[in-house]
Amino acid sequence: MRRAAASALAVVVVSAPWLVAAAIPRQQRYVLHVLIFTALFAALALSYDLIVGHVGSLSLAHPAFFGVGAYSAAILSTRAGWPFFADVVGAALAAAVVAALVGVPLFRLTEHAFAVGTLGLAVVASIVANNWVEVTRGPLCITGIPKPVLGVVGGSALTITTLPGYYWLALGVLAAVTALYRGLTTFRLGRAFHAVRDNEPLAGAAGISPLKYRLLAFTVAAALAGGVGAVYVHYLSVMCPEEMTIGLTVNLLVIVFLGGVGSLRGVLIGAVLFTALPEVLRLAPTWRLAIYGALLLIVVVRSPEGIESLLRRAGAVRPAR
Amino acid sequence: MALLEVRDLTKRFLGVTAVDAVHLSVEAGELVSLIGPNGSGKTTLFNCVTGYLAADGGRVLFRGRDVTNAPPHRVARLGIARTFQQVSVFPRLSALDNLLVFLQQHQEERLLARLLRTRGLRQLEAEAIERAHRLLDLVGLGDRAATAAGALSYGQRKLLAFAAALMPDPELILLDEPAAAVNPTMINQMKQHIVALHRQGKTVLLVEHNMDVVMDISQRIVVLDHGQKIAEGTPEIIRRDPRVIEAYFGR
Repeated sequence: MRRAAASALAVVVVSAPWLVAAAIPRQQRYVLHVLIFTALFAALALSYDLIVGHVGSLSLAHPAFFGVGAYSAAILSTRAGWPFFADVVGAALAAAVVAALVGVPLFRLTEHAFAVGTLGLAVVASIVANNWVEVTRGPLCITGIPKPVLGVVGGSALTITTLPGYYWLALGVLAAVTALYRGLTTFRLGRAFHAVRDNEPLAGAAGISPLKYRLLAFTVAAALAGGVGAVYVHYLSVMCPEEMTIGLTVNLLVIVFLGGVGSLRGVLIGAVLFTALPEVLRLAPTWRLAIYGALLLIVVVRSPEGIESLLRRAGAVRPAR
Repeated sequence: MALLEVRDLTKRFLGVTAVDAVHLSVEAGELVSLIGPNGSGKTTLFNCVTGYLAADGGRVLFRGRDVTNAPPHRVARLGIARTFQQVSVFPRLSALDNLLVFLQQHQEERLLARLLRTRGLRQLEAEAIERAHRLLDLVGLGDRAATAAGALSYGQRKLLAFAAALMPDPELILLDEPAAAVNPTMINQMKQHIVALHRQGKTVLLVEHNMDVVMDISQRIVVLDHGQKIAEGTPEIIRRDPRVIEAYFGR
């Protein structure tokens, strides 16, 4: 029964472009655009949850890693002519290297000091993006980022040009990040992450180095954020400094904490609700932000542990693992 | 050579000398208790030995190897287990996972040492699960394996923490007040567990306020007062030592 429901959901998600085209043909471009954003945001939020949900460090630096990945991909593809897959991998590696380098000093800070330190990193990254004009072109943005070429089939390049194509690419990114997220948060590695999160001194007594596992989660999360950033700029074809402001952290915090921190299902629910919802609310433009704010407040008050726990308590979904 | 040797260990907090040039040596297979009034430096000594506090002076040797100020996770992997005075578990992990997490680093270290020559992670996991179930049964938590540790009672969490410390089969076990704040039946149980460990040849260093337990099971007792070692000997000697009586009851 549940398996059947899951399969049905998968079919609906994959065939969304056709369903949208059939149901609301005049709105298809707009709806697909929102869906692409939702999938990429979900992937980004999952990478963020690796740090805040699984090793329990409140990092606010995610826009920096997203931005490093996005700019790396933009520069590598426009100036160095790197093919799509190579620049995505390059972007992920660049973000991972930055995370590993700043992670060592940052994890000397604990709790709130760590949060402030990572906030500092995000602010510095944003300033660099605006002012290092020779590399980032600053507020002029990097433009003309090529469409993704997935491969060459029978002599002709397989290029993504249509919105449904981008949608499936974004879904593929989300699927890959989901698989990695599950692999990293279960079994031995997940247990070590959760031990560090739940009781750091005791983790030490268990032979687990808290720094090692925090740094690992931080670096992998940064790599994934960088990779998502790369795909994101190939979709937009432009990269501007505004894409990596602190506002992005606020969105991620809302998705992860109101969806269900440390829970795959919770983060996915959060991403769908809090990326798509503001768009749906455009139907009532005057009241849009007021309604959105009121909904956030209701969720925080009624279910501080997130929507996922609300569904779990209502018996709508089974407890995780 | 003693299994654990503490030489001239000193720890100061803002001018208060919590541990003052303490010597302590524990032979393999011994059951030694560390006693003293509140604030005499017992837990501070534990924390210095296990890497939770940096010592201001002196050395800690385990099997002749200098482990002074090594981080807690390295000390643990060398074969020194410890429990905490405040009952300490991973509240959101199941009882079973609480135990498994205590073995995995040790296993992986051994696995890497053999360069993946022997068994895979899957088999190690199966062995770990089997061992964890045996230990849960031993402390009477066999039917709570799937329960989140945070949902267990205080006494059950204390037993779980004890079982977790035994997971990697450590050579030396440091127990910080295992009988504090639990009911008399549980105190008795805990005592039996410690005696059983000792009979298996494990080395135990115990901090405990319950004098019945200490006098009953210790082979040797070390007494601290104001950070200094004031007496050392068998339970019979310590019971009659005037300095010990003075430290506990005053003049």
